[in-house]
Amino acid sequence: MALDDASAAAESSGWRPPRRSQPLPRITALVGSARRFYKTAAMAAAAYAGDSPWFPLDYLLRLARVVVLLSLWRTVLGGSHTVSGISTDAVLTYTLISEVFADILNCRTDLIMALWEGSITSFFLQPTRLVSQVVARTVGRWGFSLVFFSMPLLLASPALGVNPWPASPRAAVAFGVSLVLAAVIGFALEYLFLALIVALDQSPWGIEALRGALAMVLSGAVVPLALMPWGLGDVLAWLPYASMASAPLRLYTATGAPLTLILLQVGWAIILWAIALRAWQANREKLACYGG
Amino acid sequence: MAGKPMGKTLRTILRHWRLFAWMDLVWITRQPGFFLTYFVSDMLLALGTIATTFLLAARFEGIGPWSEPRVVFMLGYALLVRAVQDMFFGFNVAIISRRIGRGQLDHVLIQPHPVWLTLLTEGFVPFSGAMALIPGAALVLWAARQLALHPAALWLGLAAINLLASCAITLAFSFLWGSVAYWAPRAAEEISSAAMSIMREISPFPLDGLGPIWLGGLLTALPTGFVAWYPCRALLGIDPAPYAPVVTPLAAVLLSGLAAIVFYRGLMHYGRVGSQRYLSFGHRR
Repeated sequence: MALDDASAAAESSGWRPPRRSQPLPRITALVGSARRFYKTAAMAAAAYAGDSPWFPLDYLLRLARVVVLLSLWRTVLGGSHTVSGISTDAVLTYTLISEVFADILNCRTDLIMALWEGSITSFFLQPTRLVSQVVARTVGRWGFSLVFFSMPLLLASPALGVNPWPASPRAAVAFGVSLVLAAVIGFALEYLFLALIVALDQSPWGIEALRGALAMVLSGAVVPLALMPWGLGDVLAWLPYASMASAPLRLYTATGAPLTLILLQVGWAIILWAIALRAWQANREKLACYGG
Repeated sequence: MAGKPMGKTLRTILRHWRLFAWMDLVWITRQPGFFLTYFVSDMLLALGTIATTFLLAARFEGIGPWSEPRVVFMLGYALLVRAVQDMFFGFNVAIISRRIGRGQLDHVLIQPHPVWLTLLTEGFVPFSGAMALIPGAALVLWAARQLALHPAALWLGLAAINLLASCAITLAFSFLWGSVAYWAPRAAEEISSAAMSIMREISPFPLDGLGPIWLGGLLTALPTGFVAWYPCRALLGIDPAPYAPVVTPLAAVLLSGLAAIVFYRGLMHYGRVGSQRYLSFGHRR
């Protein structure tokens, strides 16, 4: 049954969407949505260890990667205090914070893997919107990683010889705003790539691999854009991937102009969500699940 | 099969490789669109893993004792190690915990060959698995030219042995962790892919700046230093010790031996309990 047919069938069976014009039902609906969001997020967080019980290996990889990257920066920057306008300390903080918030800066949801496995059908059976469901599940997983990896890494930062604090209180506030916008852009890209996979009837693996490779290089999450060779960073800074990772990290270390970076993020969020929603509306009826 | 003469076993291996190469070619020609998507995206993914080190080396004209061409040589070497694994151990042979956890080891056990021979041959995908081969070979050749390497036969032999040893270490690490799936098939189904990720993601970085504890750890408990960094130090003369070129092969022998013992013990356990995949309570029913 097509999704729109399912909606029509539900309405003909007597179900009616809540009336939005009256304030009290609207508030009740909002509270209900928030409760569903919280419960879904809590379930995703609780399921984290059960779904992938070898997550400590993944955390070990992340720890090893950040230690190796810090040693690389110390080797290449040597005794110099400032390179391309960024101090050595700022680069080290940038690298540490990039790993602490890696899940958010490289926003990935269950959606594309669910399409790969065929379990995406269960998403459509839940009494919540697809977007809020996916966001809730992802936020739940972020919460788990935040507690079991990011916080310990932050606490261990003195042992790694890195100052974990933001450059100033103002930088911390700008970082908070920018991090939320980075997540909004990340979710839009997820939606957009889902629509693309459905539209092209392609294997999720290929497009996911391609996307992973692009994000690794273009986002500035590992190498700050200002430290890239051949002026690459000047070009990449305008792309949406930079708005996902580089922008919040630059704000945290006070190595970028807050207003410009945040306005650019807002612009990309609006553009990408407009395209993603349109692409999904146009292609969702083509969705086919195999899995097994 | 145990008493089979060596020549006959070698012929069997070659015959199997030819057969699997042919099947790989048939898959490509039947689905060229899918093949191209996989091939190009996997090649970009492989290049993405080395991009960070490459960009740093290009920006700072090298990393510590590694000049830019030396870094490029190491990155090419890391890609060649990946290429050999992808070409010879596809179909989840390298990610062995998936086969064990999913009960697919039964498919190996019913073959009229020893387990090692089946695992050595049935993952041979020389065409669809060659995505890292071209960029890897290109980087090594470019770097060799920049470094004015005029390798003698001995050096080439050592390079080939080190390359195979690096592959063996990665595979042994995957099999060592993957053997956990014999005892915990559902929970450890993906453990080999986590182990392989550690080996692949850390391998393109020069580890010279690390302290002794981390460096020791990355050459023993997590032997990712042997995938590219240490063998390239030895081959390029950054480590002048005369024994340096044989350290990686020795490490490969030790780790492979350990992995073989653990894998064999797991296989014996599997022989007693079998797979629960197709039982009514099986996790993949």
